[in-house]
Amino acid sequence: MAEKFDNLEEHLEKFVENIRQMGIIVSDFQPSSQTGLNQKLNYMITGLQDIEKCRQQLHEINVPLEAFEYIDQGRNPQLYTKECLERALAKNEQVKGKIDTMTKFKSLLISELGKVFPEEMTKYKAIHGDDPPLIVTLDL
Amino acid sequence: MTEMFSTLYGQNDAQGPARSSSLGFGPGNPPPPLPPNQVPMAAQMPPQLGDEGPALRKPGAMNEPFYLLRELPVGNELTGNTNLITHYNLEHAYNKFCGKKVKEKLSNFLPELPGMIDWPGTQDGSSLRSLIEKPPVCGNSFSPLTGASLTGFRLHTGPLPEQYRLMHIQPPKKKSKHKHKHNRPQDPIPQETPSDSDPKKKKKKRDDDPDRKKKKKDKKKKKNRHSPDHPGLAGSQPNSLR
Repeated sequence: MAEKFDNLEEHLEKFVENIRQMGIIVSDFQPSSQTGLNQKLNYMITGLQDIEKCRQQLHEINVPLEAFEYIDQGRNPQLYTKECLERALAKNEQVKGKIDTMTKFKSLLISELGKVFPEEMTKYKAIHGDDPPLIVTLDL
Repeated sequence: MTEMFSTLYGQNDAQGPARSSSLGFGPGNPPPPLPPNQVPMAAQMPPQLGDEGPALRKPGAMNEPFYLLRELPVGNELTGNTNLITHYNLEHAYNKFCGKKVKEKLSNFLPELPGMIDWPGTQDGSSLRSLIEKPPVCGNSFSPLTGASLTGFRLHTGPLPEQYRLMHIQPPKKKSKHKHKHNRPQDPIPQETPSDSDPKKKKKKRDDDPDRKKKKKDKKKKKNRHSPDHPGLAGSQPNSLR
């Protein structure tokens, strides 16, 4: 998997370097540079061919569109990964809090109902199995 | 709470077996007893009218011994109770991205890429979004340029016009500790012209000018103080030899 990316990265770097050198030639063009420029143009085309070949190996790779927005704004796309992880952790903690609260409520409710309706709760436990009240302690 | 429920249940003590199915919160009227030829609701419930919960739950609700008593859902092993980052072995990634400070600019992610990449792509039409919305024509093969095609790339000698020179200006790179293995030919340094927009240089000049002006003013003030023609000199100075 990483090899496919390394291969593409290498081709892209060579392509970008070739374009950059073409820019240098063009910025202050001399007649003797024409041959070199023509060569660079053909290197550019072979570079595009190489990148096209890499495309087949990576057709199953999906990139989230939100990451593109970061790149378009000139921001580091690793910030998107960071924010995804932070949001996932925050949501995880939020849901865990809800689960803990509901578990505690269930245990309290069962214990209180057992005090008020002992016979009914016995029937209820007979149907749903002997589900003893869970006492959840929060580690603060 | 006990009194509220007892008022609901106390009146129904005299009733028959129908009471056992009345765990309601209404005025205490139990549902009518089922005729003997009818099967209880749970077994009779057709699949399409089944429970709208997850597929693992059994459809329908029982009415014995409690009205609308449902089956408990099958517990899912993976819930929010678990630390999902640990579960999916993302601790290393979390420490890497959230433990350290990630730099803001795109050039920190791609330091070797030439050009001004920290600018928004919408300014010069190089955004990825525009590429998705208007994809280029694909399908044609890339063929090398022939001699006839290359005649179109014959350029005039001399430097580029000023309007195109900015494309080669790169942001000042910080000195890195690691030496680059590849020695790249240096980019052409553009000549300083009034039209060049280099904010740092301009700022320096602006900073220098007011500083110079202030220094000049201070020097003038000092000169004026020490001159005998200054009006405030006699009052401000301590008693001189007189």
